[in-house]
Amino acid sequence: MMQGNIYSMRETFGRLLLKLGEEDKDLIVITADVGDSTRAAYFKEKFVDRYFNVGISEQDMVNFAAGLSAVGKKPMVVEFAMFLLRAWEQIRNTIGRMNLNVKIVVTHSGYSDHGDGSSHQALEDIALMRVIPNMRVIVPADPKDVERSLPVIIKEKGPIYYRLGRDYSPPVTVNNEYEFKIGKAYVLRDGTDLTIVGAGVVLWDALKAAEELEKLGISTAVINLFSIKPIDENTIEYYARKTGRVITIEEHSIYGGVGSAVAEVLVRRYPVPMRFIGATTFGRSARSQRDLLDYYNINYKSIIREAIDLLK
Amino acid sequence: MEKGGGRDGTPISVEELDRLRQIAEKARKNVIKMLFYDQTIHVGSSLSSIEILTTLIFKYIRNDSTIVNKDWLILSKGHAAPALYALLAEKGYIKEEELWRIQDVAGLLQGHPEVFIPGVDMSTGSLGQGLSFGIGVATGIKMSGGNGRVYVIMGDGEQDEGEVWEAMTHAVVRNLDNLIAFVEMNKFQLDGSTDEIKPKNYLPKVWEEVGWKVLNCDGHDFISISNALEEAFKANKPVVIFANTLRGKGFAQIENTKKQRSSPDDARKYLLDA
Repeated sequence: MMQGNIYSMRETFGRLLLKLGEEDKDLIVITADVGDSTRAAYFKEKFVDRYFNVGISEQDMVNFAAGLSAVGKKPMVVEFAMFLLRAWEQIRNTIGRMNLNVKIVVTHSGYSDHGDGSSHQALEDIALMRVIPNMRVIVPADPKDVERSLPVIIKEKGPIYYRLGRDYSPPVTVNNEYEFKIGKAYVLRDGTDLTIVGAGVVLWDALKAAEELEKLGISTAVINLFSIKPIDENTIEYYARKTGRVITIEEHSIYGGVGSAVAEVLVRRYPVPMRFIGATTFGRSARSQRDLLDYYNINYKSIIREAIDLLK
Repeated sequence: MEKGGGRDGTPISVEELDRLRQIAEKARKNVIKMLFYDQTIHVGSSLSSIEILTTLIFKYIRNDSTIVNKDWLILSKGHAAPALYALLAEKGYIKEEELWRIQDVAGLLQGHPEVFIPGVDMSTGSLGQGLSFGIGVATGIKMSGGNGRVYVIMGDGEQDEGEVWEAMTHAVVRNLDNLIAFVEMNKFQLDGSTDEIKPKNYLPKVWEEVGWKVLNCDGHDFISISNALEEAFKANKPVVIFANTLRGKGFAQIENTKKQRSSPDDARKYLLDA
């Protein structure tokens, strides 16, 4: 959704949430004092009785939501990705273990809280959520993906971790026609020599790299790994067979994230040479998210370098 | 702090008192008997909770087929699971034979409560999590217009957890008059006495300052527990009952010590003497 010239994940989320609140009277939105920053507070405009700010208490927030879901409500907790992690054990031990119908929406993931620096930049959350039994992990690529998926997520029973950034979110899927399904990966661009698999805003770099590689005569497929868990094994295997080489890119640690998830599939079903692009250190402050992606070489230039190396 | 556990206006008949005593003694024996089958169960913490659990399960907890009109029992101090199981067996939710398979890999009963066990309302085992869950349940009940009450049982050592403090302030904001928490003061935590590790004597004042109605009771005396609960029902805000208890209550080998376990020989001696 456009806001001025900026496509913003959290804006799209907040506005859509307000609409979805009309359709589902059991939907409850809970936040730990970040309602304005996450845009969850838009929900309060119409549904003041179904909006709770529990204060700066992430652990309490998670188990409060768990309790609400145990009596049939449909709670959604909305929090910064990093600070939700201090309630990881609550998510694991209550929501996961009891398989409760709680939706966990995080904003400010990856480097998107660029200015605040490493304390606020969540580069480990996909790995940590992926290991929790019953938990599904969904990462939209841009605001259009948010519009596709949020209504589906809300209707789906059981726990889901839904990872959003902040504002930076160049449109990458606006020209694609697909319906979001949990467990399905989406081919944004077909190709025969190389496959790039990514999730989130870095898919812009994947598409940009594919365009540049095209000029060099390299035909590159780009896959939007929207649903990291459950993962679309068939599509990943199909493209590994078709192209013989895979590069993964993520705004997350390469340990345990998108690259690991793809590698886990391929090593069992069809091993091919792979390269992993993502974070290996804590972040730092910057004036923009784009500056950080470039600083840490999580960008199209790295993809091109790795692609040429893989195709040697 | 108000005294909820006085002996005036007893809400309990002699017959009922006898019945509760019999149930609790049977449960106490069964917890100790479980030691024969698995020596790693937390006997000390279980024995300190028996009378509170007996009173709740056999006198106060109302069942209903709807989740918002039933009462909820959350054993936040999940390591007292053997006591809960012994009473659920008395209640008929689980078969007594299951007790002897506690922690058996093919058995039903886990070392800490799990919701797949009949009669268990929350999977616990990690300290500090039950009160927040209880606030969620109590809030959901109110939003739905239900009349269910939520009971949460915590330990004194558990009060060290930050989440308890987060939840303590939260419950007051929600004005939950259908939420009753117990803090069982058995004065020991895993590594030793609470006085040595983190003193707990200030806790009732803190809860009261935050806005809870604070009561106390003798956690091994049915009349005292019942009086506190009757008082709690009259409150128009969340209530916490500080219950004085003894770890290992009634089992001389470990009573009032930090010990959680004892040998099967000691258990046999107790059961033969009893």
